[in-house]
Amino acid sequence: MSDVIVVSQKPSDAGELIGLARTMGNPVIVAFQDSAERVEELLGYGHRVYRVKSSRPEVLAKAVNILYEEFKPKLILGPNTRNVKDAMSVVAGLHDIHMAPDVVEVRGEVDGVIYKRGFMSERVTITVKVPYPTIILANPRIAEPAPKGGVGELKELSFDSMGVKVVEVKPKELSGINLEAAEVVVGVGRGFKAKDDLRMAFELAKLLGGQVGGTRPIAADLKWLPEDAWIGISGKRIAPKLYIAIGVSGAPQHMSGVAGSKIIVAVNKDKAAPIIKQSDYGVVADLYKFIPTLIEVLKRKRGASHST
Amino acid sequence: MSNIVVLVKASLNPEVVRQNPDGTFDIDYTPLKISDVDRNALEEAVRLKQVFGGKVYSVTVLTWGPLKAREKDLRLVVQEALAKVADEAFVVADESIIPGDYSVTANVIASVIKKMGLNPILVLAGEASIDESTYQIPGRVAAKLGLPYVGYVRRIREVRDGRVVVERDLEDYIEVLEVPLPAVLSVTQELNEPRPPTLIQIRMASRKPVHMLTLKDLGLDVKRQRSIVEMRVVTVSRKQVLIEEADVEKAALKLVEYLEKEGVLRL
Ligand SMILES: Cc1cc2nc3c(=O)[nH]c(=O)nc-3n(C[C@H](O)[C@H](O)[C@H](O)COP(=O)(O)OP(=O)(O)OC[C@H]3O[C@@H](n4cnc5c(N)ncnc54)[C@H](O)[C@@H]3O)c2cc1C
Ligand SMILES: Nc1ncnc2c1ncn2[C@@H]1O[C@H](COP(=O)(O)O)[C@@H](O)[C@H]1O
Repeated sequence: MSDVIVVSQKPSDAGELIGLARTMGNPVIVAFQDSAERVEELLGYGHRVYRVKSSRPEVLAKAVNILYEEFKPKLILGPNTRNVKDAMSVVAGLHDIHMAPDVVEVRGEVDGVIYKRGFMSERVTITVKVPYPTIILANPRIAEPAPKGGVGELKELSFDSMGVKVVEVKPKELSGINLEAAEVVVGVGRGFKAKDDLRMAFELAKLLGGQVGGTRPIAADLKWLPEDAWIGISGKRIAPKLYIAIGVSGAPQHMSGVAGSKIIVAVNKDKAAPIIKQSDYGVVADLYKFIPTLIEVLKRKRGASHST
Repeated sequence: MSNIVVLVKASLNPEVVRQNPDGTFDIDYTPLKISDVDRNALEEAVRLKQVFGGKVYSVTVLTWGPLKAREKDLRLVVQEALAKVADEAFVVADESIIPGDYSVTANVIASVIKKMGLNPILVLAGEASIDESTYQIPGRVAAKLGLPYVGYVRRIREVRDGRVVVERDLEDYIEVLEVPLPAVLSVTQELNEPRPPTLIQIRMASRKPVHMLTLKDLGLDVKRQRSIVEMRVVTVSRKQVLIEEADVEKAALKLVEYLEKEGVLRL
C-alpha cells in the first residue's frame, strides 16, 4: 500500500522528499519536467514512479488527482516551485484538503502533521497542526536525502489540460550566477535610474570579489538583470558575509531573502526608508554621489595595501 | 453579460508586525491593508471591463479578527476596490471563519460567486497574499467552480473569440497560453503599474453597494482544518549604525573602516 505521493520536478529535489516520505509512510513518485526526462535517477530509489511527460501545472494536477483517488494517500509531498504550487492548489481545492507551501519543518503524528513555515513575509514563523490527508510543499533541506537502492517500476500517465493551449514557450534569461554561494553580494534597487548606471554596482562587486543581484522590479519588471539575480521571498535566498543594498527600500518580501547575511549595508538617500532600520550600517546618501566615491576609496586602499 | 470578479484580501500588514512581550505575534493589534498584488488585479479589471462590457464585483472574505476591531481597515480595503473599478462589493465577515482556513476561504468565495449570481467570465486574483502567501486560494476557487485555472499571469495579451491569451511565469520558463473563458487567473506584480484611485473615484465609491454577508446568508456550513500551535516574531538584531555625513568621502571612509573591523572586506 502506498500512502504518500511524492512529486518530483527535478531529480535533485527527490532525495530529500523521498527521505521525508519514508519517515511517514510508503511513497510512490510522480515525475514530471526534468524528472520525467531523467526518470532512471528516480527509479534508483526503488519505488514505483509515474511519469508525466509534461511540465504543465494543469497536466500535473490531473495526474496527481487520479493517483490521489486511487491511493487515498495521507500525504502529498512536493518541492515548493511555481509549477507544483499551482497544480497542487487545484488538487487541494478538489478534495478540500489542507495545503502548506514553503514549509521549513514538518513532523508526522498519528492523526496529522505539525509543520512550520514563514508568515507575514517571513517576519513571523507559524506552527500549525492539520489532520491527514494534507499537502506539504517543502523548501530545500527539509530532511536527510534517502539512500538509493532497488529498481522501481515505471508507469506512464498522460492527460489533456482543460482546454488551456500552449501557444509558445519562452526561456527565461538566466545568467547562471550562483548568488546563494557568493560571499559578497551587491543588491540593486529602483533607486538606480537607468540600466547603464548599474555599471557602478558591477564595479563595486568586482572590487569586493562579489556578485550583483537585485530586487524583483529590477529583474522582473525592468529586466535590467537576469531572472536568477532576483533576491527575495519569491526569488533567491542569499547568505553572504556582506550584503550591500543600494537604492533598495527594504520591503519585507526583499528582506526575507537576505536575512541570512552576516552584515547588511544599506545605501539610501531616504533616512526613513525601512531598510535603514534593518541594516547593520545605513548610509544616508545619494547613491550617484556615494558609490563612485566608495569605489575610489576602496581602490586607493587596495593600491596602498598592494604596494606595501 | 460578461462580468469580472476580483478577489481582494484584507491582509495583515507585514510592515507593521506587532509583538507580545513573550515574543509571540500579536495578531489582534497588527493592522490590515489591501494585499498588494490585488491592486494589480484591480488595475487590470479597469482595462478588461471595457473589453467585456459587464460589471466588476469584488469579493472579500475577512480572515482575521476581532471583527469589531477590523471594521475600519476592512472598509478601506473595500473602498479601494470600489473606487478603483468595482461596481459592487461582496464582503463576508463572520466570527465562525476567523482565523481563516484556506479550504474554508476558498469555499466561501466560490459560494459567494455562485449564490449571488455573479456569473463571471473571468475571476482575477493575486499570485499570493502578503500575510499568508499560500499561493492557493485562486486555484482552489477554480476547482470549486469547475473552471480552468492559470496562475502567475505576468501579462494579458488579448481577449479573442472567448479566449484570453496570457503569459504565465513558471519556475524555469514563460509560457504563452490561450485560455478558454470563463477562467480563473492569478496575476503577478509585473502585470501593470497600479494607479491609486483619484479623489473623485473615492467619493463616488461611497455610493456603490457593499453587500455584507454571513455564512448563514450563504447557507454554508464549513469545517476548519488548521489549528495554529504558535506564532513567533522573528527577531532581527541588526546593529543599525547610521552613517550620515554631508561629505560623501567621509561617509565612504567611515563605512570602509566599519567593514574592516567586521572582517568582511577582502581587497
Ligand atoms: C507576493 C510578493 C512577492 C514579492 N517578492 C519579492 C522578492 O522576492 N524580491 C523583491 O525584491 N521584492 C519582492 N516583492 C516586491 C516588494 O514588495 C517591493 O515592491 C520591492 O522589493 C521594491 O523594490 P525596490 O526596493 O527596488 O524599489 P522601491 O521600493 O521603489 O525603492 C527604491 C529605494 O531607492 C531609494 N532611492 C531612490 N533614489 C535614490 C538615490 N539616488 N540614491 C539612494 N537611494 C535612492 C528610495 O529612497 C527607495 O527607498 C514582492 C511583492 C509581493 C507582493
Ligand atoms: N480572504 C480572502 N478574500 C478575498 N480574496 C482572497 C482571500 N484570500 C486570498 N484571496 C485571493 O487569493 C490571492 C492569493 O492569496 P493566497 O492564496 O492567500 O496567497 C490573493 O491575492 C487574493 O486575490
